[in-house]
Amino acid sequence: MTTQGRRGTSSQPVIVSEEQTNAHTDTYTVCIGTLAEKADQESELMVKKRVPDWLNNSMLSSPPLIISPPSKLQSQSPPAPTVIQPPVPIPPPTLIRPEPPTKPAVTPRTEFIDPLRRSSGSDNDISSSVEDVSRQSNLLQELSRRIINMRELRRLASEGIPDGAGIRSTVWKLLLGYLPSDKLLWSSELAKKRSQYKQFKEEFLTNPSEITRKFEDSTSLQHGNNTSAGKGLLPRSDIPHGEHPLSLGETSVWNQFFQDTEIIDQIDRDVKRTHPDMHFFCGDSAASKANQDALRNILIVYAKLNPGIRYVQGMNELLAPLFYVFKNDPDEDFSENAEADTFFCFVELLSGFRDNFVQQLDDSVVGIRSTISKLSMLLKEHDEELWRHLDITTKVNPQFYAFRWITLLLTQEFNFTDSLHIWDTLLSDPQGLQKTLLRVCCAMLILVRRRLLAGDFTANLKLLQSYPSTNISHLLYVANKLRSHP
Amino acid sequence: MVLVLAIGDLHIPHRAPDLPAKFKSMLVPGKIQHIICTGNLCIKEVHDYLKSLCPSLHITRGEYDEDSRYPETKTLTIGQFKLGLCHGHQVVPWGDLDSLAMLQRQLDVDILVTGHTHQFKAYKHEAGVVINPGSATGAYSSITYDVNPSFVLMDIDGLRVVVYVYELIDGEVKVDKIDFKKTSTATI
Repeated sequence: MTTQGRRGTSSQPVIVSEEQTNAHTDTYTVCIGTLAEKADQESELMVKKRVPDWLNNSMLSSPPLIISPPSKLQSQSPPAPTVIQPPVPIPPPTLIRPEPPTKPAVTPRTEFIDPLRRSSGSDNDISSSVEDVSRQSNLLQELSRRIINMRELRRLASEGIPDGAGIRSTVWKLLLGYLPSDKLLWSSELAKKRSQYKQFKEEFLTNPSEITRKFEDSTSLQHGNNTSAGKGLLPRSDIPHGEHPLSLGETSVWNQFFQDTEIIDQIDRDVKRTHPDMHFFCGDSAASKANQDALRNILIVYAKLNPGIRYVQGMNELLAPLFYVFKNDPDEDFSENAEADTFFCFVELLSGFRDNFVQQLDDSVVGIRSTISKLSMLLKEHDEELWRHLDITTKVNPQFYAFRWITLLLTQEFNFTDSLHIWDTLLSDPQGLQKTLLRVCCAMLILVRRRLLAGDFTANLKLLQSYPSTNISHLLYVANKLRSHP
Repeated sequence: MVLVLAIGDLHIPHRAPDLPAKFKSMLVPGKIQHIICTGNLCIKEVHDYLKSLCPSLHITRGEYDEDSRYPETKTLTIGQFKLGLCHGHQVVPWGDLDSLAMLQRQLDVDILVTGHTHQFKAYKHEAGVVINPGSATGAYSSITYDVNPSFVLMDIDGLRVVVYVYELIDGEVKVDKIDFKKTSTATI
């Protein structure tokens, strides 16, 4: 569905959402001039089907509402109450202002309550907690099956995962393919992967002294007389394999160690700078030091296993949410082994993205530049006026802002909880991570289009590089709408 | 895993122009955590060069050093070990192990590093270990002309020290190692 900003030319019925399910917790406030009759009828049906009576009463004063047509995937979960809010502008974190009905909207004005946010208003709290509970129960129900239906899980997860009960941790592991969908295989898979990680750590994280010591212990007899001899010249012995600390040989353990120290230093620095405002990562407590050590270990093992890409600044930012979610799993077993689990999930997450980090591939078809240009094209497709204004009039090169958006999966643009929510959607969308990410980025641009259209180069750049905080559900909703139709 | 370089008796520029090229190529910054130097560098340029290899530099005064501010002896603690440093011309007879042992007991250190004889030695006695890294440039000494360039790199790892001896014999660098452990009591 293309959205044109021209005045008075839109004659299509604006459908609020195509694929939202009945478990979706959106609240819809729409004030649009043109409404199709059909949509109206559908909305009546929807209202009758989906909204329980006690909620129905509270919105008697609202203008005609359009609610999404019932999705074919009517799940077996109990009908989730859809909260419909009177179109009183709630002080929202969103930037969409209700436009006068004469001007057809680029995107219909819809306001959502983000269940994870509980930001505004007391009546929202009741509704959001209700939504939360229902969503949580849906997810728990799905997770409790022996064989988990991945499609269903994706669908549920794309609406957002509630914060509690370790649901997010398990769901992310499933979405990233770390846990198989058959629950019976979990324990064997986990044991296998965890021992593999342990091996990696031993292989890569021991320093050369220990390696050479292990060497001697296994090959030659110990010099037992060292400690007992009273006096005398100390015996000199040969060094194993020509290994000495100043060795310049390519295969020398020591030499490799020193070559790696550069990268390890870089990793150290970045780990210390990760999320300095969060006690989980930064602080004097033993726990945060342990967390930082875990991050460090994971990044070092990854760098050593992937000599092609090594470590690039920014990987720590991608790692942090994963580790945070897995470590905070209330299940003890999962929490203790969070490091190993995070490593494999990190590998999986990066596997689609690796090409963005490799400098040589920057200009190639799979590199970051082409991804950014895909974003540009997407914006052009959905909002040509904005695209023209950004690209041509104000010459804001998308590389200036989109680079960070794309490579860091939007972790730097929003606060931590919001980015977790965005990641829920990014990870669960069947279209794939990159396509979803581009849609979300496009939605981000569209949401601030008014300010962008009014701004010049400096103002726009400033705005996009420090993106204002918005209502995440709304953002994701708009992103969803940008899904292309065959 | 702390790498400590023990080096000394270079006698630059009086008796030798520079370190052997093969040694120089191995001594690169960033690998070594501490340098302990027995003395007789003799000039400031050598001091600066060693400082560029590692900022943690400890020197004691040799009889030909032009900088008179270096101390006669020095002690430092690295990891679990106490190291003592002295040039050795003060201990008479030169190179005599019993007298050096006396000095070691005086300084109360586990490892004593001295020079002056320009001969590599690693010797153990009840009070500890004495290491002489020899002369890194192969400069002649008052005792002998036949000197092989040598220095010592110690890898201190907990209670264990691995001493790597680097010698330039016939133009080739030969590396040997010596292992010893410290028992958990104060002396070895």
